[in-house]
Amino acid sequence: MSLRFQRLLLILLTLVIILIAVLLILYNTRENVSYFYTPSEIDKSEIIINKTIRIGGFIENDSFNKISSSSFKFRITDEKASIPVSYNGILPDLFREGQGAVIEGAFNNNDVFNATNVFAKHDENYMPASIKEDLKDTGYWNKKYK
Amino acid sequence: MSSLVGFLSLVFAIGINFYLFLSRYIFKFQKQKFNLFIRFSSLLTLLSFFSLMYAYVVSDFSNYNVFQNSHSNKPLIYKISGTWGNHEGSMLLWLCILSIFSFFFSFTKNIEDNFQKLTLIIQAFLHILFGLFIVFTSNPFLVNSILVNEGLGLNPILQDPGLAVHPPILYAGYVGYSIVFSIAIAGLFQNTDDEWLYVAKKWSLISWTFLTGGIALGSYWAYYELGWGGWWFWDPVENISLMPWIAGLALVHSLMMVRGEQAIKKWIVFLSILCFSLSVFGTFLVRSGILTSVHSFAADASRGIFILLIFFIVTGFGFLVFLLKEPKKSNALNLLFINKVSALVINNILMIIATLTILLGTIYPIIIEVLYNKRISVGGPYFNSTVIPIMIPGFLLMSIAPILSWQTNKINNSKKYVLAFIILSVLVILQSYFLDFNTWGFVGLLLGFWIILASIIAIFSSYKIKINIKFFKIINPHVAHIGVGIAIIGITCSSVFQNELDFNLNEGDKFNVNGKTVLFEKIETTDEINFQSLRGKFLFDIEKNQSKEIQAGKNYYPVSKMITSEAGILHQWNKDIYFILGDQKNNEWFVKVLINPFVSFIWLGVIIMMYSGLIAVFRR
Repeated sequence: MSLRFQRLLLILLTLVIILIAVLLILYNTRENVSYFYTPSEIDKSEIIINKTIRIGGFIENDSFNKISSSSFKFRITDEKASIPVSYNGILPDLFREGQGAVIEGAFNNNDVFNATNVFAKHDENYMPASIKEDLKDTGYWNKKYK
Repeated sequence: MSSLVGFLSLVFAIGINFYLFLSRYIFKFQKQKFNLFIRFSSLLTLLSFFSLMYAYVVSDFSNYNVFQNSHSNKPLIYKISGTWGNHEGSMLLWLCILSIFSFFFSFTKNIEDNFQKLTLIIQAFLHILFGLFIVFTSNPFLVNSILVNEGLGLNPILQDPGLAVHPPILYAGYVGYSIVFSIAIAGLFQNTDDEWLYVAKKWSLISWTFLTGGIALGSYWAYYELGWGGWWFWDPVENISLMPWIAGLALVHSLMMVRGEQAIKKWIVFLSILCFSLSVFGTFLVRSGILTSVHSFAADASRGIFILLIFFIVTGFGFLVFLLKEPKKSNALNLLFINKVSALVINNILMIIATLTILLGTIYPIIIEVLYNKRISVGGPYFNSTVIPIMIPGFLLMSIAPILSWQTNKINNSKKYVLAFIILSVLVILQSYFLDFNTWGFVGLLLGFWIILASIIAIFSSYKIKINIKFFKIINPHVAHIGVGIAIIGITCSSVFQNELDFNLNEGDKFNVNGKTVLFEKIETTDEINFQSLRGKFLFDIEKNQSKEIQAGKNYYPVSKMITSEAGILHQWNKDIYFILGDQKNNEWFVKVLINPFVSFIWLGVIIMMYSGLIAVFRR
């Protein structure tokens, strides 16, 4: 193999690697990205069953219901709309009514959101900036949340 | 009082650095005098840091920062670590480490005076930038305007021995790249010979080793403290630390390989600037509050803008010099189809693509929000299915790269390798046939074992085995790769073959985990110094005489009204058994048990990598 041919091969190989990387990124930014909504943004008519999304808001007061030691029902709200959620597993340490939380999961057939992950933030006063803005927009803004 | 001392010495240190910076243009110094000034300013910065630490140790609540983040009934170790458990203190730690690096660099022997001086002047410039940032936006020495005798307490989740030492070590890695940056820029300016490459190699190895240690400590903490059973979550902050780590790895490899080639020298300068830019950019993303995670302390827009400004100055200046100056005295690149140089080039391309992929995934949500006003989250699945496939060819190459030749396309002993690879593949296929077959598991195990095996063959066939220090220095690259192989096996097994069991139990119940009987003995609550603990006590393997006790539960911290989970982990060499105590109803407790095979291999692999990072520092 001549030196030139060898270099050509290397350059081609590099291009192929870069191409594969770009394709992987493009494919995955379509497939493995979950959209984030507040409860009032969820349009009942446009719900796609079993598509993973995230919902951010507060745990509605007096909505928490412990069915067994590992199965829970509660509602997540932004004061305009509220969505029933069911969850099996261990709730995060900071989960409690009135606190901000983000849940990840999908809707099943009967309008209940099946959460696979529940995130409450480590910091007590924490709330994702995006939810904060939304809540300020909707006027539901509790001063005690910094 | 200590606050005043701290603040004044900080300002004084910045002043000295300003003076030194000007010395480049206005007043000329003797080398001796210049170095003395550098060391003096380092000591002043240290003094500033220690006076903040002193304020924490004696719980001086007249300091606003101490009042916000400390409490008098905390154990001493968390009073000390509280110094950097907040934004202001951690930035002071950052500056402190920067000046420690300058301090040690000023003692470097056998390098040209002007080059050393210029490097230190660039360091002084960075010191000024970050020093002003602290003074103007994040001053830890503010006086508390109200008189109090108790503080607000440190976030309980940070009250952990692993996390107490994690920030200083991680920062030593991040900030270590500042000196690599300065060396590279000074090397371009001074441009006399290739001496700077050797100096840069040493310092980039030191930084990389610290960064590895810092990341590993962080993920070990996440493993046992967050109670999710995993050790890596592709959290933005983890990504941010991973980016300079991979870029730094590319840099270390380039520095090992460089033989004075023009193209590689240029590439090294590029990587040096990139590593430090990524470190500063990471600081910006975390501190600005754009990305939220465990690590973002109270967010403040002005800080974000200030750091963004520093980022643009550093990166802009760095890349401008990079574009204008050319390294001289160079050899042509000896690029063949498969020799050491081409393996290096491919390895570097892969690492940079991986870095960019992580960067894209990390800032993608921000871009989408700005462009479309839609919010998305990019989680583990994206990173797993982009970064891992990109790295796989690199891992394959890694196993043979050390034995490739410089000049030709020949691989020594190639038959041995082919034979070994075939035998190994058959073994791994057999293994996965008897256990559950899983594509990722198969690929990961094959790669891990192959890297180890190929490195061992390389050691035995290329060198005479001797037990002395010189021998360990020679085989060091292979040792590092064995470490990577071990870590890959650990990562694959613990993530692919993880097993999860759920139980609903009353006290006194017996249940079965992995063929062993476990007794749920009792629930116990006790009062500790600054928290209450609730523990479920489990006896593992009660049929044997030496059954092991595992405690899993929760802590309640009254000062900050927070609960933290405390997982109970039984470490065995081939698996961790990981207990999480959940909620209860009518005295029936939910218990989750995770069986994580070969987690210890990850930490072992990391330790081997760090060991060979250190050995390489001493290898010329």
